[in-house]
Amino acid sequence: MRVVAARGALLVALLVLWEIVGRASNPLLSVPPSAVLPALRDLLLLRSYPDLPASVLLTLREIAVAYGLAVVVGLACGFALGFNRLIGSAYGPMLAALYAVPAVVWYPSLMLFFGLDAASKIAFGFLLGFFPVTLAVLAGIRQVNPHLVTVARAYGAGPLGVFGRVMVPAMLFTLVAGLRTGLALAVIGVIVGEILGSKRGMGALINHAYGLLRTADYVALVLVTLMLVVGSDVVASLAERRARKWSES
Amino acid sequence: MKAPARLIAIENVTKRYATSSGPVEALHDVSLAVGEGEFCTLIGPSGCGKSTLLGMLGGLVHPDRGRVLVDGQPVTGPDPRRVATVFQDPGLFPWRTALKNVEFGLELGGMPAERRRSIATELLGPLGLKGFAGKYPRELSGGMKQRVAIGRALAIDTKILLMDEPFGALDEQTRVLMGEWLLDIWRRTRKTVIFVTHSLHEALFLSTRVAVMTARPGRIKSVLDLSMDYPRSMESPELVALRAKLWGEIREESLRAMQ
Repeated sequence: MRVVAARGALLVALLVLWEIVGRASNPLLSVPPSAVLPALRDLLLLRSYPDLPASVLLTLREIAVAYGLAVVVGLACGFALGFNRLIGSAYGPMLAALYAVPAVVWYPSLMLFFGLDAASKIAFGFLLGFFPVTLAVLAGIRQVNPHLVTVARAYGAGPLGVFGRVMVPAMLFTLVAGLRTGLALAVIGVIVGEILGSKRGMGALINHAYGLLRTADYVALVLVTLMLVVGSDVVASLAERRARKWSES
Repeated sequence: MKAPARLIAIENVTKRYATSSGPVEALHDVSLAVGEGEFCTLIGPSGCGKSTLLGMLGGLVHPDRGRVLVDGQPVTGPDPRRVATVFQDPGLFPWRTALKNVEFGLELGGMPAERRRSIATELLGPLGLKGFAGKYPRELSGGMKQRVAIGRALAIDTKILLMDEPFGALDEQTRVLMGEWLLDIWRRTRKTVIFVTHSLHEALFLSTRVAVMTARPGRIKSVLDLSMDYPRSMESPELVALRAKLWGEIREESLRAMQ
């Protein structure tokens, strides 16, 4: 209860601050919350941007595909790197070096290669989401206590049994945390991709409002996007809780 | 009394390990036979290959030369229908409750959930773990953890129980009590136990036979048969004499191991 109160207090303080600063500065560039509310209402009633539902849907679909690919490829790469010593020592360091490069430098070439439509956003979301998943698998495999593998083998577990009953539960927390980070980064990748260059999707709408200095609409769009991001993270944290329960049952 | 059938036969077994400073011979031409229902203890200095020998019986380590037979058949890999192992590190699965850890081997064997649960639950009583079924390993003391691990081994009800210094990590008092408890379990279940230890007390208190191993490369130095009734008093003149004899042999090997 006190946590909620503290949270609310900070929010109210920020809103008040925003209102004061917003009213004091250039109305073209900054909007106080009191001006955002009507813009948000217009946005949600589809008055300012009638293609909002289509844009939200497109962005969500891009996120889903980008994240799906990131999970599948990330898991496959992670296990290949973790289980095969040659692959691991040959490509592991390369992967880590690649991860250190700010991913946004790849985006122009992705646009050149995949075009301005969904494909380049998916590719960028995938690129961002893929690394945390792969690295979480690698970290998870290192976390598995080899003695437990020996115990499982002594009690008759084959490779599949060791994988399912020892590896997966032992690495579950790390793995799920990586999957969650991967989702957050895939979402960022898709939206940043849209903002950097696209004709449709939430990022395109944001770009449009921002470019025309429709600042109140811009802020309203950002708020809607924020809802998407927070929503996806809530889903991810629910999944994390489920995984924890499963591993302890 | 007729000689018990040879349940376990270790025949001329040799094992080398590759290390960074060249190959090390862990076992050299070791032979040992153990009959059904025996409590056979392997004792010897650190690094004498006791655990390697146990690993071979469990099918986790393969000999370079020689062979290991259980029930007349060569051991090629872990065989949980015949052999159950208790390790020094209990190796409980931290995401499983005590009960679920005891069930582990039965689960791998494909037993239906209800049956394995009732078997595991019944085991918790004699293990002194009643009321701890739902506890996770992190909530249990060292002795309790090891009893869960022993429960996991007893649950699959094998003829042979391998124990690799199971009480080595416990404090002295717990250790003595666990020894008494294990003796009780063994006398009731009549399993064949191969027990690795550093403790003279454990060896003399529990065993029907004691095999003394040499410093590396491990060989069987001597085998003592102990025919005294259980429970044994460590103060009986017989055991005091045996203790001195056993200590003499182990001392010699331990000194060699230290050089």
